[in-house]
Amino acid sequence: MSNMFAILCFFLVLFPFAAGIVCWAVGRGGCVAADRLAQLSSTLVFVGCLALSQCVGGSLSLPGVLGLGLSFQLDGLRLVLCCLAGFLWMMTTLFTPEYLAGKAKNNRYYLFLLFTLGSTLGVFLSADLYTTLVFFEIMSLSSWVLVAQSETPAAIKAADSYLAFAILGGLSTLMGLFLLYQQLGTLTISELAAAAAAVSDKRLLYVAGAFTAGGFAAKSCVFLVHTWLPGAYTEAPTPATALLSGIITKAGIFGLFALSGQLFLHDAGWGLAVLLFAVATMAVGALLALFSTELKRTLAYSSMSQIGFILVGAGMQGLLGEENGLAVWGSVLHVMNHSLIKLCLFLVAGVVVMNLHKLDLNDIRGFGRGKPVLMIAFLLGALGIGGVPGFSGYISKTLLHESIVEYIGVLETAGQSAGLFHAIEWIFLISGGLTVAYMTKLFVTLFVMKHPTRQAEFDALNGHYMSKLATVVVAVSALPMLVLGVLPHYTMDKVAALCQDFFGSEGPEHTIAYFSLTNLKGAAISIVIGALVYLVVVRCVVYAKGEYHNRLPRWLDLEEMLYRPLVLGVLPFVGALVARVAGSVMEWCIALCNGVLMWRATPTINPRSDDTFCAYEPHSRRMPSFSSSLSFGLMLFGFGLVSILVYLLFF
Amino acid sequence: MMTWYLLIPILLPLVGACFVPFMRVARERAQLLGALFAVELVCTALAAWKCSGTLVLFTVGGFEFALLADGMGKFFAVITAAMFAAAGIFGFEYLSEDEHPRRYHIFYLLTLFALEGLAFSANLFTFYLFYELMTFLSMPLVLHEGTDKARRAAFKYLGYSLLGACLALFGFVFADRFCTTLDFVAGGNVNTLAVTGHTGLALAAAFCMLLGFAGKAGLLPLHAWLPIAHPEAPAPASAVLSGVITKGGVLGIIRVAYYVFGASFLRGTWVQTTLLVLALCTVFMGSMLAYKEQLLKRRLAYSTVSQVSYVLFGLFLFCEAGLTGALLQVVFHALAKVCLFLCAGALIHYTHRTRVPDFKGIGRQMPWVMWCFALAGLSLVGIPPLGGFVSKWYLAEGGLTQLGVLGGSLGAGVLLISALLTAGYLLGIVRDAFFPGAEFQQEELAAKPGWAMKLPLAVLAAALVVLGVWPTGLVSLIGGFAAAIL
Repeated sequence: MSNMFAILCFFLVLFPFAAGIVCWAVGRGGCVAADRLAQLSSTLVFVGCLALSQCVGGSLSLPGVLGLGLSFQLDGLRLVLCCLAGFLWMMTTLFTPEYLAGKAKNNRYYLFLLFTLGSTLGVFLSADLYTTLVFFEIMSLSSWVLVAQSETPAAIKAADSYLAFAILGGLSTLMGLFLLYQQLGTLTISELAAAAAAVSDKRLLYVAGAFTAGGFAAKSCVFLVHTWLPGAYTEAPTPATALLSGIITKAGIFGLFALSGQLFLHDAGWGLAVLLFAVATMAVGALLALFSTELKRTLAYSSMSQIGFILVGAGMQGLLGEENGLAVWGSVLHVMNHSLIKLCLFLVAGVVVMNLHKLDLNDIRGFGRGKPVLMIAFLLGALGIGGVPGFSGYISKTLLHESIVEYIGVLETAGQSAGLFHAIEWIFLISGGLTVAYMTKLFVTLFVMKHPTRQAEFDALNGHYMSKLATVVVAVSALPMLVLGVLPHYTMDKVAALCQDFFGSEGPEHTIAYFSLTNLKGAAISIVIGALVYLVVVRCVVYAKGEYHNRLPRWLDLEEMLYRPLVLGVLPFVGALVARVAGSVMEWCIALCNGVLMWRATPTINPRSDDTFCAYEPHSRRMPSFSSSLSFGLMLFGFGLVSILVYLLFF
Repeated sequence: MMTWYLLIPILLPLVGACFVPFMRVARERAQLLGALFAVELVCTALAAWKCSGTLVLFTVGGFEFALLADGMGKFFAVITAAMFAAAGIFGFEYLSEDEHPRRYHIFYLLTLFALEGLAFSANLFTFYLFYELMTFLSMPLVLHEGTDKARRAAFKYLGYSLLGACLALFGFVFADRFCTTLDFVAGGNVNTLAVTGHTGLALAAAFCMLLGFAGKAGLLPLHAWLPIAHPEAPAPASAVLSGVITKGGVLGIIRVAYYVFGASFLRGTWVQTTLLVLALCTVFMGSMLAYKEQLLKRRLAYSTVSQVSYVLFGLFLFCEAGLTGALLQVVFHALAKVCLFLCAGALIHYTHRTRVPDFKGIGRQMPWVMWCFALAGLSLVGIPPLGGFVSKWYLAEGGLTQLGVLGGSLGAGVLLISALLTAGYLLGIVRDAFFPGAEFQQEELAAKPGWAMKLPLAVLAAALVVLGVWPTGLVSLIGGFAAAIL
């Protein structure tokens, strides 16, 4: 079994790299064989991921590689994440050739697409944080090229900020790992809990954890380090956006899970910190999505908001301590649901962009009218993410909601004030409501409204706006929402039970009645809030006079107003000033010595104003005042010392 | 094998240099010198593999002129020979339009001679002689272009080197008194009797020597020659100046700190603290100034200031992890920086431009060169799986074990901030080269690099990847040195 795991592990991590290089070489002249090769290899990788299910429990270590050695292992959570990655990659790659048809440098896209695949699987299979970081960095850098693929100025700018966050985050995580390794002596994820329990002074451990979490949080767009998200998601080719949103954020989440579920196992302080960031991410993301007037940007902020939901689960795990089954299940299942839903939604968005090359909601109004496959797929995705009963998102959101309610119960039984958590519960429900509202906004825009001028043009596309393969891909990607949502006990419960070991959890104490009245009430509150918000905010504020308007004030843009000026302007200026002063001290001393010791003014030659006289001189051979410089003085001094030495030696 | 064999790698370049004036045809010269570089590399590797022991050549007034084949020396000798071979082969095409290629090659070989001698020196006296030789023989490389700027740069190089050498010589006189012998003895050989009561003076002497040798490695007060001298030399010469000759200073520090005074004598003293602070300041300063610099080769020179101080930081920690990290950084910095300078040389040679903004879109014209540049740059930043990551891991670990949590975090923090700046000043170039924008119109270059230029680049970049992924052999080799001298 362990042999099989080793072989599969090598295959999953290394094969995409090799296949990427082959695709790149084959596609150099714009050859279409590269498309087929990329599709074939990502399908093969998906098959490999499925085959992993035969060797759960396997592990592999490669001592000495990259200094500390790499190690891999497979458990339920890793298996689920790998399968998700394989599935998403296969689906998006199948769709990619059609999306990129007629564009330049597609072979470069495949090269880095497959590099990203290999490194993402490396992250998910990693058994220690060192291995995680190694593959995480490779993943960040190769996905950077995907963001910059179209080479437009906007794409370059987005890629810049993506790269800046990737590098900053990577270094922050590296710093965290230095500190962790120093304190714990191990980075193996499954040993972190025991090692951390042995540490008496936890303060430094929190610092180390915060640094480590920095990089993972930046990748999963947690609030405050999310500003790269709208640009990168909008500018990357849409299949790549689906991956960024569906899987690459989950690589960050995997790292955060390793911290919450292992290093800070059942640690209430850490849990509360995570929870506060999670709530901010969830609410801010949902608000920004509500006010956004672009298709991909709305979906991007929606991803941010959903990551917030997932992290609410991660935070509640710490707060609930031993009895955290609900939170564990909720966060894991929301990871899976969000990946699948975003795949479907971004594929639909991809079809829209592929046909119209526009993203603004005003320009794509009514595109989906009379396109049933597109509409049903989008509707299933929207219902799933909105947490409507009967669709997949409802299950995970219910679990997360229940975990908050459970903690409120715990606090009240203990006689403590639960005001904060009542507030969090409400923010949770309102964010769910906002999700419903912005998805309604997108659905109505695409499938109900009519474009004022181009509607006939859009209608003319009906029936041949995407190829058969794309139709199948979109339809297949929409199915899981329904299947998972209707049969939660046969599907989702099994998956969650598989994953819970990673968090050292036993799962919920009893089977959960997902469709009980209490649970349905939560969803109903969210849907009612959503309907109200849609009617009041979207229809009256965002959509006015027959058009969508961007109502967000510019100063809310953290990146433009704060990060860019700070990182590109203020800090380098101060740093360079300090560095220049420090670096010039010696030069100033030399200049001073030159002035004092070599006070004799250098003789200057004033050439006669006779042009002919000067013209015959080919070039001046004058030494640049060397004999009057300190170097010369030093050289004489050196000669003096040497002669003294010679004298001492021989006489 | 006999210890006499040690003379071959040292004298071979010297003999070669004597024949260069008679090689008038460029093609013939390239073939002969290319073969010479290869033979030199093989001879050095053989010497490193088989030789051991000391070879005393002659004695002058109580000082022995002697050669020694120990692990540390062999390590530096092989790196030197390999880097000189790569930059040398690159140099043929680079200098094809030069007016005085023979002059350049003569001094290039002579510098190699001095460096091999430096690596195999057995005592401080021999070391000092070769050190001064290295300074004087490498100065003409900076002077080569013959412009006013080059002359000024060369004299600045000379001035700083002599100032450093003066400091070293000052310490040398005291070392003679405080140590039982001037021979390099693993672990140091401070004479406790002589030092008793004069600890302050002995430390001051050690400080002067270390600072003096650190001048060659670009430590803070004595770094100013690097950004002036490197851009003026021809690219392959700047590559070895930056990648190898700065390591001459590093070797000097290793010999003084670990083989003359000994780590245990210096550990925990003000000397260590001061030098560590200086090293960290240099790490930050170099990166910051590189980030602000627009001239490509000067940017790389500032980068050297910063990166070589990573090595010094590791050395001044006086612990095993620090030393391991430092020596790994020696290897990976040499590979990456030689590669970067050679890439810069290829760019400059074929575009006749020197400033960073001029290289926009060059990735389409010279994809090989820019790929190598990108790999070397990523290694310098410390992105896995490239070599630089491994060395930085050991350095930070050494800092944390040796300096405690606060000092260690400060050290590691400075290293990481510098890594961030490194990403800023190198990856920006790569970004502009490969993504100039869809509308960017590139003028077609008249000529593109031939295989003699691309081969050294590809070999260096491949070495960074291979040694980065499998550093096991290197780490155990270096671990052996560390165990012997600590």
